[in-house]
Amino acid sequence: MKNIIIGFAIAATTLAACNNSNNDTANAKQTDIKNDTALATQQQVTKDTAGTQSTTATSEATFPVKEIITGYLQLKNALAKDNGQDAASAGNAIVATLAKVDMKGLSDVQMKSYMNIADDLKEHAEHIGANAGKIEHQREHFIMLSKDMADFVKTFGNGGQTLYKDFCPMANDGKGATWISEVKEIKNPYLGSKMPDCGSVKETIK
Amino acid sequence: MLIIFIVIQFIQPVRNKSGQVLSTDFGKVYAVPGNVQAVLQNACYDCHSNNTMYPWYANIQPMAWVMARHIKNGKDKLNFSDFGSYTGRRQISKLKGIANQVKDDEMPISSYKLMHKNANLTTEEKSLIMDWMNKTADSLSTEN
Ligand code: HEC
Ligand SMILES: [Cu+2]
Repeated sequence: MKNIIIGFAIAATTLAACNNSNNDTANAKQTDIKNDTALATQQQVTKDTAGTQSTTATSEATFPVKEIITGYLQLKNALAKDNGQDAASAGNAIVATLAKVDMKGLSDVQMKSYMNIADDLKEHAEHIGANAGKIEHQREHFIMLSKDMADFVKTFGNGGQTLYKDFCPMANDGKGATWISEVKEIKNPYLGSKMPDCGSVKETIK
Repeated sequence: MLIIFIVIQFIQPVRNKSGQVLSTDFGKVYAVPGNVQAVLQNACYDCHSNNTMYPWYANIQPMAWVMARHIKNGKDKLNFSDFGSYTGRRQISKLKGIANQVKDDEMPISSYKLMHKNANLTTEEKSLIMDWMNKTADSLSTEN
């Protein structure tokens, strides 16, 4: 009987813990709304500068290459500033963007590649969105999400914006990790203020 | 309180027990060393596969609900029974995710460890899992 009572107590606390995390996502959703509008305005400004795109890019009207990249860059910048809350909002914004993607304009090859990438991308973005208070966990997902983004850019182009592929050998517990940036200057999203300038540009994506 | 406790005993969730090992099972997709598979089976398969070894308290509410919930959420994130059906990219992500969760002591869930002494992984078991997962993920990454 004693065991049962202990079990009951554990169950009660576990249930309570689950509810807490639900609240967290509700909070994150709220900040999301603000973020969406920020995204939209940024989008307009940058759209005009989008000139020649690589041949693989599709029209922005049907497929939001630029918006997905913008969401990623916001996430990257939030992590570089050690801001898990903003990172979570950006993660949720990416999930929202992916949810409304229309694949109609894509070729077969692009569609296959997109589905492969988006499946993984979405899961990492969701976890980053749900873990505002755990920036190290967000960064673990960001390592893999950055790999997805690199492949995404390879298939769909850079959305008309010069991008840089950076690498820091000290990230990921010394195993090294890559990220994509819109500025040449190094701002490390894995180490943040601990070591903001760890890394170097490995590739320029024009 | 006691009455509620008795009444809820009659509401039992459906059990997660297929009794089959699918061809997509983790142990069939990779050459998993016996000691690695044993740790996963012991500490993870209850919530991350189609076959849960139900403990005695699984008949007692609300424990059964908590378990059903863990199993549902756990399988959504990672199902060793379906591992082979994930895309290559997702498999790599999951292998690294497993290493990370074990490294950060996030998995197995702490309430589970209270009830399952052998799910409390030793330092050796942890590094065994982490090393094998990372090594396997890296060997896949360089393939494509
Ligand atoms: C008591 C049930 C339970 C056990 C045992 C358990 N898990 Fe989990 N696991 C869960 C649940 C529930 C989630 C989803 C949590 C969430 O959504 O944050 C999860 C999520 C995960 C994830 C995805 C987490 C992320 O944030 O990326 C991984 C990887 C994982 N578990 C690995 C493991 C491994 C490896 C073991 C064994 C060493 C294990 N789990 C044991 C219930 C369990
Ligand atoms: Cu996660």
